[in-house]
Amino acid sequence: MPVKEAAGEAVSTQAPALEFHEIQALVLRPRPAPYFGIHVLLRVDDAQAGRAFLRRITPYVDSSENWSTANNAWMAVAISYTGLKALGLPQESLQSFPEAFRVGMAARARELRDDGVNDPKRWDQPYGTGQVHIGVTAFSDSEEKKRHVLAIARKEYEGFSGIKVLGSQDFGAQPGDRNSLGYKDGIDQPAIEGSGVAPLPGQGPLIKAGEFILGYPGEAGISVPMPQPDILARNGTYIGFRKYQSRVGAFNRFLQAHGSTEAERELIAAKLVGRWRSGAPLTLAPDVDNPALGVDPQRNNDFNYANDQHGRQAPFGCHIRRMNPRDTNLTRLTDVNIHRLIRRGTTYGPPYDENQVSEQDDVVPRGAIFLFISAKTMGTMEFLQSEWINDGNFIGVGDERDPIIGRQEEGAVFTIPKEPVRRRLHGIETFNVLKGGEYFFLPSLSALRWLGNLGG
Amino acid sequence: MATQTVPANRPKQALTVDEKLQKIRELYADAPELGKAALKNGLAMLTQELAAAGLAETAGRIGARQGKVSELTVFLPFVKGGAKRLRGLLQLLEGNFKAADAVGTVHDMRFVFVDNDTKLLFATAYDGDFDPYIEDFASKIPNAMDLWLSNFEGYPGMHNPRAAADWIAKHQIAAEAWYVNSPNLTGAETRKLERVGKAVEELLDQIG
Repeated sequence: MPVKEAAGEAVSTQAPALEFHEIQALVLRPRPAPYFGIHVLLRVDDAQAGRAFLRRITPYVDSSENWSTANNAWMAVAISYTGLKALGLPQESLQSFPEAFRVGMAARARELRDDGVNDPKRWDQPYGTGQVHIGVTAFSDSEEKKRHVLAIARKEYEGFSGIKVLGSQDFGAQPGDRNSLGYKDGIDQPAIEGSGVAPLPGQGPLIKAGEFILGYPGEAGISVPMPQPDILARNGTYIGFRKYQSRVGAFNRFLQAHGSTEAERELIAAKLVGRWRSGAPLTLAPDVDNPALGVDPQRNNDFNYANDQHGRQAPFGCHIRRMNPRDTNLTRLTDVNIHRLIRRGTTYGPPYDENQVSEQDDVVPRGAIFLFISAKTMGTMEFLQSEWINDGNFIGVGDERDPIIGRQEEGAVFTIPKEPVRRRLHGIETFNVLKGGEYFFLPSLSALRWLGNLGG
Repeated sequence: MATQTVPANRPKQALTVDEKLQKIRELYADAPELGKAALKNGLAMLTQELAAAGLAETAGRIGARQGKVSELTVFLPFVKGGAKRLRGLLQLLEGNFKAADAVGTVHDMRFVFVDNDTKLLFATAYDGDFDPYIEDFASKIPNAMDLWLSNFEGYPGMHNPRAAADWIAKHQIAAEAWYVNSPNLTGAETRKLERVGKAVEELLDQIG
């Protein structure tokens, strides 16, 4: 079989220039290190008040202009389907959005395999109720700048009738830039063609901008279908918002059950993810951690699996090999480039502690809210959830699921390929439980202004 | 496309074996004598089947599934000359379907020309859902797909994968029933077991 055939239609190979001044900063700006921020969820009870809010807030929403060197504090505004409706977007335009976006994340639970402990019936309020209309996110590299951005936003939504604050969630990096299970995260991001910055070593081939931003050619050579009108869609994108609760006690109990020394436990923790907690990939540091490698962006992602085709370094079922199989020989015909998402992980709650092993430690509010960004987020998330996260057949590990974000069945296992015989760990549980989720549209700056002026 | 009686009238509530038997007796009340006799004489095996847990599931948006294996059945209307081209192509391929090998999830495919070469009945067994992978087909094997599907009316082309998936689903007719011999073995697992089995035989040869 040829590795990749030419598409059936003549396509332009010239990448169009991205309109950075239109694209929201959240799409291209990486998370600062360390990072501080907040998500605020709003409900629009009156269309006019909602549009007036958009008109007031839009001047403060940052674009991707000079994104790689810009000051590290920015605000993003995203709108759900029910939000677009509440703002008075005409029916014809509403209907032009993809079905999964229109019905919302909770209604797609079957396609997303959000069942059992992840069932939308068990989500925190107000997720999945249709009440979340607008999401405002502030990111910054210091607590002080975050407070400044938040104060600006708050001035525009607080105290106005017709806009209700449903809730907010502070987030921030934990010591050493770790997440709530103690790992350095957010390392491997897709490299976007036309973004104007050379990819980091190992970031993989440049992926067409149209996979991530509406109005540009995607990997198939054409733009993914856009909602209408053009002004609303172009330079916009979608966000899948997922709130996870980390069951730190269960995770630590699992590590302790299988590792009698700290070194053994750390190796198991690394095998589950494919990286040591420091961020150092097992493919480059298979036997002992290398923290200097972990923190070095020029080296910590610079690998493929050509010399690990048996999974003896990074197990086939580990988290990072599932989420980006790179050159792994998959059992199904797959184009790895079309299933990637930009992700902005935002950790909340107290830092990881390896000594917390009680069931009470499982319910301490801590975890991560992920923002998954793509021009086809809904379809990609359904693919990832059903194929790469909650199944193992694609990579030859049968019914095994992603050990970090999978929804585990009773009796779940995790296989570590090894010479002479593999090691199989029993007692894998759902270590990160889904507590809520929403789909948002992330309009361009022109589209935000257009929405603000709907109805004259 | 073919018209189909939607298999929707499935009993929702769980029936007891006796209730199911009673229903079958009612259905066969006006059957030919041969059928009535078969029901009476075959009662033992039928009772066992009715007592077992139901295995039928649905595959993706349409189609039946058992365990990991799904069925896809479509009636596709040929464009003018399409039947001749496809028959010629299939004959010259002589059973070599490298694209299907590459897909990795296809268990079997049958191409049946019906209604005086105006339609193709295409039936296949495959692992999981195909919908999530339609864009992968579009990216990896668009020509292999277009080469045979371009012989049918309304096929939009693999350069528009979502439309192609919708077109297939539009022509799909769900099987009323679906039986799979090894419902828990995917194509990939079957090939793996073949390799393992061969290795074990070689090992035994060396010992013996």
